[in-house]
Amino acid sequence: MMVQSSSEQEVAQLIVQTLKLKVDPASIQPDAPLFGEGLGLDSIDALELSLAISQTYGYQLKSSDPEIKAIFSSLWALAKAIEKNRTK
Amino acid sequence: MHETCLIGPYNPDDVLAWEQGTSRTAGQFLADVFSLAESLPDRPTVLNLATNRYAFWVGFAAAIMRRQVTLLPQSRAPQALVRIAGDFNGSYALTDRGEAVKGIDSVSIRLQPDQTPLTADIPRVPLDQVVAIAFTSGSTGRPMPNKKTWGALTAVAQATGARLGIKGGERISVVATVPHQHMFGLEASVMLPIVHGLVMHGGRPLFPADIGSALAERDGRWMLVTTPLHLRACIAEGVTVPAGGLVLSATAPLARELAQAAEQHFQAEVHEIFGFAEAGSVAERRTLDGDHWRLLEGVRIVQDRSAYRVRAWYLPDPVPVPDRISVDGDGAFVVHGREADHVNVAGYRVSLGDLNHKLLQIDGVQDGVFFLPEERDGLVTRLMAFVVAPGKRSEEIQCLLRAHIDPVFMPRPLVCVPSLPRNATGKLPRESVKELARQWMEGEGREI
Repeated sequence: MMVQSSSEQEVAQLIVQTLKLKVDPASIQPDAPLFGEGLGLDSIDALELSLAISQTYGYQLKSSDPEIKAIFSSLWALAKAIEKNRTK
Repeated sequence: MHETCLIGPYNPDDVLAWEQGTSRTAGQFLADVFSLAESLPDRPTVLNLATNRYAFWVGFAAAIMRRQVTLLPQSRAPQALVRIAGDFNGSYALTDRGEAVKGIDSVSIRLQPDQTPLTADIPRVPLDQVVAIAFTSGSTGRPMPNKKTWGALTAVAQATGARLGIKGGERISVVATVPHQHMFGLEASVMLPIVHGLVMHGGRPLFPADIGSALAERDGRWMLVTTPLHLRACIAEGVTVPAGGLVLSATAPLARELAQAAEQHFQAEVHEIFGFAEAGSVAERRTLDGDHWRLLEGVRIVQDRSAYRVRAWYLPDPVPVPDRISVDGDGAFVVHGREADHVNVAGYRVSLGDLNHKLLQIDGVQDGVFFLPEERDGLVTRLMAFVVAPGKRSEEIQCLLRAHIDPVFMPRPLVCVPSLPRNATGKLPRESVKELARQWMEGEGREI
C-alpha cells in the first residue's frame, strides 16, 4: 500500500466529496487508475471534477492538453498537475 | 422526389469539417467516403464506434454508399456491443483509434492527412433506404431496435434547420458536446450541418474551456449543440465565447433560470429540442418563451384513446410518446414528466426495468433494484442500487455489472442488503424502495 502525500490526500478528499463516492479518501491508491477500472469514474465525473478543481485551485483543465490522459490517469498524476498549474 | 443528395449545398472547396487548425473540404470528404466505401467488407450491418465526429460521418456515409445499416447502440459496455453484434449476425465494427472490441471484427477508418479532393457528382440516397438502427432500452432487458430511413433523418434535419432560421449556404460552425451515436447527437450535430451545408466540428469538447476554444476557432456564426449539464458547467466556469451564436439543447429539460443565465452568458438565443430515439426530434421551443413545445414541420401528435402518438410521413407507424404530455388545440404541447419506468441520468434515458434485469443476471445476485434519488445538489444525480447477494461484496458486483451497462448508469452506490421490501404479491412498490433509500441515506448522514 502506497502512502498518500499531503497534496494527494487533499485531492483524494476533493474527489470523494465532489463525486459523493462511498470510499475512504485515504484508501485511493496514488497509482491506481481513476477511470474505467479502479474508481470507475466516467466523463461526467471528469467534468464535475474539472469544475471543482477550477473553483478550488484556479486550474482550468482542457482536453486539448496533450497530457490530459496522463493527468487523469491516477491520483498521483492529478495531484502533481494541480501542484504545477494551480493559481490559488 | 425519391432520393436526395448525400450532402447539402457545398461547393467542392467549401470547408465541411474542422478541428484544431485542420479542415476538410466537401471535395476531400467525397474522396474520404469513396475510398473507405471501397475497403469495407461485404456485410449487412456495422457498429460505427468512431470517436471523432467527422470520422464517424465518413464511416456512416461510406456504409450508406454500400447499402449497409449503421447500428447505434445505446451503451458502449463491451457485453452490450457483443450482444447487438450477435443479434445482427454478420456485423463488424468501425473504429478510428485502432481500438478492438473483443469478439467483433473491426475495420479502422484511416483518413489521409492530405487527401486529394474528388470532383465527382454527389451521390444520391433513396429516401426509403434504412441507414441506421437506434436502440432504446425496453423493460425486458433486450435492446429495442428503431429503424431510421435516410428520409427520416434528412426530413428532421430540414425541419429543425427551418425552425431555427438557418439559411442554405450560411456557413455556421457547429460544435457539439453530445455523442453522435445517440439520436439527438446524430440529428443535430451530423445531419443538421450536412443537410444545410454548415461546418461541423470534428471533436467532442468536454470541459468548459474546450467548448470555449472550439467556438472561438472559426469566424462567423456558431451553433452549440449541447445539454443542460454542459451549459451549467460553462456558466459556472465563466467561459467566454464570441458573439453571434445559437445554443441548441436537448436530452433533459432545461430549467428556465438556467436558460436565462445561458442566454445572458453566451449572448445567444437558447433553443431546445424535444424528441426521443423512437421518433427522432419532434418539437422545438425557445426556453424563455414558455413551457409550450411547437411541433416541427411535418410532425403531428394524435390521440389514440388515452395515449399520444407521433405521426410523420417518414414514420411507418405512429410512435407512442414516452412522456406524459397535454396537447393544445393548435398542436403545441406541455411535457409533465417521464413515464414511471424511465429515468434520465445526465441526459441519457434508460428503463429501470432494463437495468434491474441486467442486475439480476449477475452471478450471485438473488434480488436487486435500481433507484434514482431526488437530490438537487451537484451537477448530476446518479442512480443507486440495492442488491441481495449473500457472500458477495458490492465492489465485485460493480465490477461484473460494468461489462453490461453504460458507465453513466452505474449505481453510486451499490448497497448490499439482506432483503428487499417486496410486498405479498412479490411486487416492489416505488414508495418502498424510496423509503429504503431514505433510511440508508439517513444512516450515511445524507438527505434524500
